[in-house]
Amino acid sequence: MRSEREMAEAIQRYGDTVRRLCMVHLKNYADTEDIFQTVFLKYALTSVSFDSDEHEKAWLIRVTLNACKDLLKSIFRSRTVSLEELVEQPAQLSADHREVLEAVLSLPARYRDVVYLHYYEEYTAPEIARILGKNVNTVYTRLTRAKGLLREKLGGDGDE
Amino acid sequence: MNSRIKRAFDAVHAEESLKESTLAFLERRRKGGRVRQGWWAGQRLAMAACALLLALGIGGWWLYFTPTASISIEVNPWIELGVNRFDRVVSVEGRNDDGTALADTLDLRFMDCTQAVQTVLESERVSALLAADEVMAIGVIGSDATQCSRLLGQVETTAAASPNAYCYCADGQEAAAARETGLSCGKYRAYLALRELDPTITPEEVRAMSMRELRQRMEELSAGNSNDSTGGTVTGNGAAAGETAGGSGQNGWGGHHEEDHGHHGWAYGA
Repeated sequence: MRSEREMAEAIQRYGDTVRRLCMVHLKNYADTEDIFQTVFLKYALTSVSFDSDEHEKAWLIRVTLNACKDLLKSIFRSRTVSLEELVEQPAQLSADHREVLEAVLSLPARYRDVVYLHYYEEYTAPEIARILGKNVNTVYTRLTRAKGLLREKLGGDGDE
Repeated sequence: MNSRIKRAFDAVHAEESLKESTLAFLERRRKGGRVRQGWWAGQRLAMAACALLLALGIGGWWLYFTPTASISIEVNPWIELGVNRFDRVVSVEGRNDDGTALADTLDLRFMDCTQAVQTVLESERVSALLAADEVMAIGVIGSDATQCSRLLGQVETTAAASPNAYCYCADGQEAAAARETGLSCGKYRAYLALRELDPTITPEEVRAMSMRELRQRMEELSAGNSNDSTGGTVTGNGAAAGETAGGSGQNGWGGHHEEDHGHHGWAYGA
């Protein structure tokens, strides 16, 4: 098991990423807390030797997404949820941020991953395909459709 | 849109409380894991120790309680003492009714075999029989020649003060042959010796006779033979009997008492 110091560093470094993925997928803060802990416990226990920070981050993203999917498979969840339930202190978010995040969260689940990974983490489609274990063309298709949906909700040019 | 999405996500951070609770959770798991690991290690160690103790216990029990030789004491009461490799009595068995009655009155288990034989010799019943000139045969029976020789020496020393006690040593093969006829080793030897003098004698007759009666019978027969064949027959019969009994000087009927107390007539080949 990794040391307490290593874990504190990892949470500091990757906590936000894991947190955002939880927000994209999960319906309440309690589930987020569960997944957050699960992901970092797996990280603490893993014997995987990471080649680089990028490799480590991709591993954590994959583990987080899988953990979220496992949780969602195991219990009944409504398709949509308010941001208030997802973020502990939503008041700290600006109106624009809230609008964007709510638009993302309103997307079908299969589009949310690619939106986050592409727009925020800036992974390319082939990289996203590797992380999600999907065909690259599937990723391209999802990205295109997600952009279309977001454009409808948020307006403006998708790539600006 | 790209930058809006990026800024929006950028505004989302893992809450400090979430980080802290996760670190606390990991610490609990770490401690729990250690405890559990320690618990398992402790369990394994305890189980190994138990297994070792059990093995030692069973091994020790087996070593201590497995008889490696037996001492057959026969006057008319016939008892057999099981002796372990440490020369301790681990079992006492009455081989006939009188023997069972005698065994019940004596507490011989776990005694040193010398002490046990001494106790038997000094018991009221046996000492009364010996005082009445009954004959006692004490046989050391076993397949370990070293232990048998040691035990025989101890038994001989213990019985030295009893004039009618005869000590002998027999191996497992002879003991098995004696068992087949239903006789003690001592009586079996007497039977073989008597058969040389009187081929009509049966094991049943021998079994029904006391050691003294056997001695008397042998004396009578050998005296008769001496009269008939004008000397030398006793020696001849004796040699034959001794050979038949498989006895050497040590293993033959008389044992050391033959030397100590002179020729009793029936101690052929001794």
